[in-house]
Amino acid sequence: MTPIIEMVDVWKSYDGVQALRGLNLQVQRGEIFGLIGPNGAGKTTTLKIIVGLLKMDRGVVRVNGVDISVEPYEYKRIIGYVPESVSLPDYLTVEEFLIYSGKIREVPDEKIRERMNYFIDLFELREKRGALIVSLSRGMRQKVAIASALIHDPYLLILDEPFIGIDPMGQHVLKELFNERVKDGKTIFISTHMLDTAERLCNRVAIIYRGQNIASGDLGDLKQISRSGENATLEEVFLKLTEEAGEQPIEETAERGRRFLGFLGRRRK
Amino acid sequence: MRLKIVLNLYKFKVKSFFGAFRASKANLALLLVYVFSLLPSAFGFSIMIVNAVNQGGVNVETYIETLAAILSLLTAFILFLTFRGYTVFEHEQNLIFTSPVKPMEFLVASILADLTSILVFIYPLFAIYALVVSWLNLPLSSAALILSALLIFIFFIFLLKASLSIIMSFHRNLSAKIAVSALILLLLFPSISLALNLPLKYVLLPYPSTFLAKILVGEIYGAGLQTLDLLGLSLYFLLLAAIFIILSKENFFPLTTRVPFVSPFDASMRMQALKMEKSIKTFSRMGMFLTLNLESKSLLAFLMKKEFIRMVREGSLFAVIFMYIVVSFVVIVSGAFSPQEALFLTFFLGVYSLIVPLMLIANWRVSDFENLWVPITSGANIRMIIRALLYDFILVSSGIPAAIILVVSAIYGINPLMALLLVASSSIVSCPVNLYVTIKFLTRKSRSLSSALAGWASMLLSALLLTPTYSLIALSQYLNLGETICSLFAAIILLYSALIMKILSAKIERNAVNIEM
Repeated sequence: MTPIIEMVDVWKSYDGVQALRGLNLQVQRGEIFGLIGPNGAGKTTTLKIIVGLLKMDRGVVRVNGVDISVEPYEYKRIIGYVPESVSLPDYLTVEEFLIYSGKIREVPDEKIRERMNYFIDLFELREKRGALIVSLSRGMRQKVAIASALIHDPYLLILDEPFIGIDPMGQHVLKELFNERVKDGKTIFISTHMLDTAERLCNRVAIIYRGQNIASGDLGDLKQISRSGENATLEEVFLKLTEEAGEQPIEETAERGRRFLGFLGRRRK
Repeated sequence: MRLKIVLNLYKFKVKSFFGAFRASKANLALLLVYVFSLLPSAFGFSIMIVNAVNQGGVNVETYIETLAAILSLLTAFILFLTFRGYTVFEHEQNLIFTSPVKPMEFLVASILADLTSILVFIYPLFAIYALVVSWLNLPLSSAALILSALLIFIFFIFLLKASLSIIMSFHRNLSAKIAVSALILLLLFPSISLALNLPLKYVLLPYPSTFLAKILVGEIYGAGLQTLDLLGLSLYFLLLAAIFIILSKENFFPLTTRVPFVSPFDASMRMQALKMEKSIKTFSRMGMFLTLNLESKSLLAFLMKKEFIRMVREGSLFAVIFMYIVVSFVVIVSGAFSPQEALFLTFFLGVYSLIVPLMLIANWRVSDFENLWVPITSGANIRMIIRALLYDFILVSSGIPAAIILVVSAIYGINPLMALLLVASSSIVSCPVNLYVTIKFLTRKSRSLSSALAGWASMLLSALLLTPTYSLIALSQYLNLGETICSLFAAIILLYSALIMKILSAKIERNAVNIEM
């Protein structure tokens, strides 16, 4: 089966910064995939390229088998996206924004109403249903953005730091929701700094550093590649790998990542 | 008081204020253009004063009265600003108020920084002073007296604002507000009495504004040294300085009011968004009668309704209506309203249709550009979104003046055809021009450029493209052409405008789908 997301040798530079340097990445269907890395590693750039907010300088990105450079619009129908800094139309109410999100995706009216009511209940936004978005707290805005990304029941949900600003109860609801969706065969792709959450929630993770994928796989794979002990946590593995990568020239790090991806591919076959 | 801390605070505040200029060369260029553009006005005003003095035969008392009224109005405005209590920026609360800085150190640094910052805007005053003093060959004593009086009054104003703001921070009750309101009324009472034909005049009252007006006018007209007036002004200053010193020993930090940081020419999205957030909170109450629901028949109608709701709730629509009302009112009161005046008004409104799209699109850029991630990542029909936006801009920028023109034409029995045509053509051409230029300026490379530059470019391009419209309308009015020719001209103008819109719409749609965020 083709991966839901496949990035091959993706390069991107802007504002004088080389954000991605030949990034290779594969996200399989029906998994929660985590993208982790230090600040400025290129996580947000990666997500923005996939959802069409940024254009790559070179490389290939395929979503659901479709090359997004060749067909840059249609593939978005199966995507739901929530950015890190959520900007929402402050002048609309919660309900109006969810209707807007559904309408522009051409979701039938009955479905919009049904899903809107479901997510308003799920995220406990009942009292804020008719409130203007400008009056919402950061956590509530985040919940509204997630609800809007789910209004068309997307096959692939891409979230940049989804738990920031959300209360513990809300985080719990969100994790449950992610697990339920994965059981239904859908895919969740998240970028996060919360390594303990990533360790518990994600089936696989990729560690991105200086715009390159330095290691990816499940925790066992990462322990193996980092030569960490059996009891090592994702945080320990992450720190070890990024520290080692920091000491190596960038080309060497990329080569190591490529070798590892090849190794994973052979193992799966 | 630790002078080193005052100096550091002063430097920090001045750097914050001028931050936008330091951020980009374009903003610095704008500042220089602004600064130098004031010089011709200062030069002209100085010539006017010198000519008036040389011609003689004027009533000095009238000048004193007028100047005192203006200065009182300024003082009243300053008093009005104190209603909110002492205002500070968020970063000042977080950074300065959590450090061992004393209120007096903060206040002194603030006053000095405000004085430095405001010099950029009031420097023509000193240019006028220098020109008038040299051209009139005023004696050194008079020159010194005028300068001293000006400086004392400026410090007086700053001390007044600081002291009264602190008092208002401590006493946030109705009686304090009534007291300040009474003070404002007292300052403006001579102006009000003038309108009511009462014998109360500024020259008879010991107001600080009267003292300054007497010194300035008296010295310029050579009425001898105004020592008593300077003494009066100095007494006010000393009294306020004493109050200021007492108040600056109080810890008013926890009682301050936080306001959004304002730096002139700061076109950053964050800054503009803060202002817009405030505007939405104010106007949304009036706009809640409209709701975006699932009832719309087509996607285009739905998107147009959404944009209209935005314009209502963020206040753009009210701003446009208010502007047209003000413009109409000014034209009406500036002359006896005759059919000729009415005709002039209708064409005047047509010209304003060039400015309104600029305003509407600038507001869209601030309030909705950052939200474009929603349609871009959803695979939505961006072309449809842009079309809805454009249609709404055209409807609002032409609908409101057209309604006024129709009413005025009906009352005065004038033919509204050409004026309506001017409004329609201006909107149909300048809306896509403004949107096109704005979207062009929103590419990653040029996003840091000031929005004022985008505005100027849009106005220039709109004016150029509207040249055929203006020419044909001017020709029809000048030659007093018949209805058949006018109708032919109208058809040509509308066709031409529609063509421009079609070409630009295609360009906008092409650019919009390539926006990077």
